[in-house]
Amino acid sequence: MSVKVSGGGRLAQVMRDGVHSDTRSAVIVVDLDGNNSISSLAELTDAQIDEMYEQPMQQVIAAIQEAHSTNCERIVVVVPTTGMSGGAYYAPQAALAESARILVKSAARQWGASGITVNAVAVEPHWFSIDTSISGAVAIAPRSLANEVSPVGVVTWLCSEAAGDITGQTIVCDGGLWM
Amino acid sequence: MNARRLENRVAIVTGAGQGVGEGIARRLAQEGATVVVAARRAETGEPVVESIRSAGGQAVCIVTDVSVSESVDACVAKTVQQFGRLDMMVHNAFMGGIPHKLEKAQIDKHWTPMSRTGVWASLFCARAAMPHLIASSARPKGEGGGRLILITSPSGVEGSANIPLYSPAKAAQRAIAKSLAREWGEFGITVNCIGPVAGSPALLTAFDRNPALQQAIEARTPLGRVGDITDDIGSVALFLASDDSSFVTGQTIICDGGSFLGL
Repeated sequence: MSVKVSGGGRLAQVMRDGVHSDTRSAVIVVDLDGNNSISSLAELTDAQIDEMYEQPMQQVIAAIQEAHSTNCERIVVVVPTTGMSGGAYYAPQAALAESARILVKSAARQWGASGITVNAVAVEPHWFSIDTSISGAVAIAPRSLANEVSPVGVVTWLCSEAAGDITGQTIVCDGGLWM
Repeated sequence: MNARRLENRVAIVTGAGQGVGEGIARRLAQEGATVVVAARRAETGEPVVESIRSAGGQAVCIVTDVSVSESVDACVAKTVQQFGRLDMMVHNAFMGGIPHKLEKAQIDKHWTPMSRTGVWASLFCARAAMPHLIASSARPKGEGGGRLILITSPSGVEGSANIPLYSPAKAAQRAIAKSLAREWGEFGITVNCIGPVAGSPALLTAFDRNPALQQAIEARTPLGRVGDITDDIGSVALFLASDDSSFVTGQTIICDGGSFLGL
């Protein structure tokens, strides 16, 4: 079965290279660019709100609709944990991440009766180039795993037949940074 | 019990022409705040102002379209020009919420009104109020304290089957609150959210049309009723606006009688 991956950047490519599934699946990597941190909310322009929040959120909505229209059984949306933790100087991006994550729950509620599962995977901010030295710490303890954490395995599982009873959930895959 | 906890302070409450915003405006005014009723239409805002004044409070109406940044900027500017300060910005106004199927949802019809009034407007309100909230927090203890309060929803945490795109718009407000709580902590400004379920005009009208809906909501609510816009929801806003909450920031208080317990 094919896995359709939407979204740009390094993480989307990692998903294209690594995720496989025994179901028809869609993986939506939110188009969030942490290189665009703002120096202060006072400096945030309306054009930046459109660029950092509105357009990528509309892309997420379109992608999840397309996944439904192409009869995907598994839909996984990948976001940074910044939506849950908040991020100083990243307010629009945090809003985008959390909007996408909660859209997953709405979709899971609507489409559950059709056998479609919709879940989120929240990953370390660095996957989206978010600088936690700027946004603020997401943990008060060192993470429990030493090596870089790859979300490929978790996403692959959520796309699998075996995960058919899991929907509307967020799995945080960051080695224990955000609890 | 502290009497008149918001004496000499100034608040803007958006969407205060009715419902939750009206309740918050009334409650803040009861505690001495001068309240700007920021309503999209004077026809709804002015009666609230008159009611507050009749009860001994201070209020004015400034017609404001929160989906337009210039309108929000003008509201803040007029407020500061008239009253000399702004201590509390409460963003409650919201437009949208039409039930829809997610797979058929249209951006212009189902998403844009909620995104503009929920997400964009939260950023507009925060941006416009920011320098004045910083100034409020710089005042001596007990004489000020910048507060940004965003009105979200339990649906912003748990999603919604009936109005699926409502939830992302409300979720964004929680992320904005957490982000700005981090960003503005150095100034002493607190940023929090309230997730109410209250007897707004829209909900009460729905109850009139469908009494079974009221029974269903009350049955799933441990406290057995929906909230009162002033006494229940307004009082939570009062807490977050007052000095009592000076060490609370980045949080969401779900105020729904215990219906939602998943936070």
